[in-house]
Amino acid sequence: MTAGIAPRIITPDDAAGAAATLAACARDGFAVVAVGGSTLQSLGNAPRRCDVALHTSRLRGIRDYDPRDMTAGIEAGTTLAEVARVLGEHGQWIPFDAPLPARATVGGTLAAGWAGPRRAAYGRLRDLLIGSTIALADGTLARAGGMVVKNVTGYDMSKLYVGSLGTLGLIVRANFKALPQPAAQRLAVAPLADDVRERAIAAIGGLTVEPTAALIVDGFPRVARWPGAALRLVLLFEGSEAVVERGTRDARSALGKAGVAETLLHDGAGAQRGFTELIDAYVDAAGERTLTYRTTGLPSTAWARTRAGEGLARAGGLHAESIADLRTGDAILRFSTRTVAAFAAKLPAFDADVRRAFDHATVLAGGAALRASIDAWGAEPATIATMRAIKKHFDPAGILAPGRYVGAI
Amino acid sequence: MVTSLASRLLEALGPDTVRSSPEDLAVYSYDAYSEGHLPSAAVIPHDAREAALAVRIAFECGEPVVPRGAGSGLCGGAIPACGGLVVSMVRMNRILNLDVRNRRARVQPGLINLDLSRAIAAHGIFYAPDPSSQKISTIGGNVGTNAGGPHCLSYGTTTNHVLGVEFVDGEGVIHHTSLDDPGYDLTGLLVGSEGTLGLLTAVDVRLMALPESVRVAVAAFPDVESASEAVSAVIAAGIVPTALEIMDRLITAAVEAHYQAGFPLDAGAVLLVEIAGPRDDMAAGEAAIARIAQAHGALSWRASSDPAEREALWASRKGAAGALGRIAPNYYIQDACVPRTKLPAVIHEIGRIAHAYDLPVGNVFHAGDGNLHPLLCYDRRDARAVRAVVDAGTEILSTCIAMGGTISGEHGIGYEKRDSLSLVFGTDDLAAMGRVRDVFDPRRLFNPDKIFPSGAVCGEVRAPAAVA
Repeated sequence: MTAGIAPRIITPDDAAGAAATLAACARDGFAVVAVGGSTLQSLGNAPRRCDVALHTSRLRGIRDYDPRDMTAGIEAGTTLAEVARVLGEHGQWIPFDAPLPARATVGGTLAAGWAGPRRAAYGRLRDLLIGSTIALADGTLARAGGMVVKNVTGYDMSKLYVGSLGTLGLIVRANFKALPQPAAQRLAVAPLADDVRERAIAAIGGLTVEPTAALIVDGFPRVARWPGAALRLVLLFEGSEAVVERGTRDARSALGKAGVAETLLHDGAGAQRGFTELIDAYVDAAGERTLTYRTTGLPSTAWARTRAGEGLARAGGLHAESIADLRTGDAILRFSTRTVAAFAAKLPAFDADVRRAFDHATVLAGGAALRASIDAWGAEPATIATMRAIKKHFDPAGILAPGRYVGAI
Repeated sequence: MVTSLASRLLEALGPDTVRSSPEDLAVYSYDAYSEGHLPSAAVIPHDAREAALAVRIAFECGEPVVPRGAGSGLCGGAIPACGGLVVSMVRMNRILNLDVRNRRARVQPGLINLDLSRAIAAHGIFYAPDPSSQKISTIGGNVGTNAGGPHCLSYGTTTNHVLGVEFVDGEGVIHHTSLDDPGYDLTGLLVGSEGTLGLLTAVDVRLMALPESVRVAVAAFPDVESASEAVSAVIAAGIVPTALEIMDRLITAAVEAHYQAGFPLDAGAVLLVEIAGPRDDMAAGEAAIARIAQAHGALSWRASSDPAEREALWASRKGAAGALGRIAPNYYIQDACVPRTKLPAVIHEIGRIAHAYDLPVGNVFHAGDGNLHPLLCYDRRDARAVRAVVDAGTEILSTCIAMGGTISGEHGIGYEKRDSLSLVFGTDDLAAMGRVRDVFDPRRLFNPDKIFPSGAVCGEVRAPAAVA
């Protein structure tokens, strides 16, 4: 094999096969990129080389799931939808909160370090992960954690692998703590006119029954069949019927006092569908003419960061859409213009503006050509030397998704 | 050399910060584990800068660095097993920054766990991890062992509440990690690393809104097995209370004698349940759990939403181990975790093992998490009993592992269980952890002889000797 031609696809049958493949690639110096459902491959930089695409589609299945223990060991290639179906039969779930669950895999979602809007209520995915097995570049399979919900035995290695984007090894199995599914879900959507925005945000902060997600969505036409203005406040309430009822009632009343004209409610399947579409929109159908950043920070600054993004777009002659996550502090900023070429011409300078404006901005999705012309990560974190050392110790030959990660790791 | 470490520290930090006389150092030689070892020196830094300087000097002298919070750890994590420098965090006990709106705080590692929640309660927020030692144990120590507590059933353990840390490396350089940073999750690695990767000098913690309502119930059961079955059934029904705790007859008697909190004395086991959340859920939640308890043979059910009564019940539950002093001159508390459905079987096995070794055993445990704390009662002056305790403890751990469990749920591995780690993990698993150690601490000077099986680490440098 030579770099530059289409990568060879290898689909191991089991964990041992995956480990053996990595060892063989390390020996021969072939670069390996792990592939799950390809829903979040836009994260990080395009790897410098890709000789082997290691697909996890045959590493499938939910093992050791005893609903009475509320824990499940899941193989990497299992889709999120499959997990939701099997656990759902027992009234349980794992709040992956990730886009495109019919295709997205457990291993890929973990490797991407996906952090969805409901993490403020249910914890980050890393917090629900109680154990893992990873195939390493030396051909070994290393376990960490276990199948119990409390565990302090050695380093919490699973956390190192979450979000490592396949640069340290291939996660082949993940053990999770499951949660009881909320009995009820309700989505409240309120168009936000210019003059009530600040008051509406303050009103949401004062709610006793907190929404599991609170987002201000600006744009995103695919979820725009919700009527109303371009700018919408979206609140998801989950819990018992009584709590959801009170949460939406209180929210409506508080928003009404803040001057919001109307709040529309979607129940049950409608709420679920609406929220799923919204999460899909973080990365899906972005198109070649768009570039989406995620900035992280304090929840109190999320809204202001989306406005700052809007300002940057105006100054740069770009169109902006955004999601301000009032609970987690994420601000999703999507920029676009009429043609790829027009965007590309502005891009290096515009990207520099974005990095200057925000402490933590990484590229989440966008056109491949646009992404190729910038670094997905921005400024290196102060701990980059430690991160480079970790990479060197786990992948001395540098064959795992080379160049994809922070600081060209 | 010992004198060189102490004299260099004295020169750099002064006598107010440095301790070097043998009588002063004796206090830093042990923690709540049964063995100890004298350090060469101890420092009590006022801030991160002093702590970093002390670490640099120790490393330049080739001496180990051992962090110390309250010294309340049960597994010897704070023992200077290979001598060296103990860094006591008692003076670094402040809340450096509190952001009520965003529910986060930066605190120094020496801050006592309960002091944090008390200091912020007026803002309607709290710090969720609440190990039973929270009246004395420190946030830094809690982070080191990824401490749990009764309420991690629904709130999660310490690691779920740490947003970032500040730590000192072997060159005395201060680093800061944050979950907001892109790149590898160094925060997640450092939490639970028991001081073996660097010295913590600050912690960014996540705070939570105090629940609108809290209700505690006490149920009496004929025996521990039936109480455990009830706990399994509650979880299986999709109910996750904030806490589900069990005390057996022996523990309940000791606790009642000491605290008079009103636990039933005629029962074989007591189940303590707490539910918290919006007030709308309280009545239905309590009724559902009460129904399950009754279906599993509960003899009585008493619920309360009175804060004072609740406080008293929790204070006595958290004081359970201490109250055992009324029954036996010494006790050995084990910490293990099993899948929740294995609780009844493992409790039965623990009883059998204790009986075989002729040791009285009390069980007080975080039942909802499957986290067991059997307490074996003995008299330290009886050499036969000491041997029996060690052997019974090992047998209990092996039983838990055989049932799919692990050897520590919340206390950590420390010095005590380092050789048992290989019962849980194989060579390849430990090698992956070793790579991380190689990155952070290639010289193995940060808290050596902890967590990892003994043999190649500091035993070669200086054999640790038991002093207690």
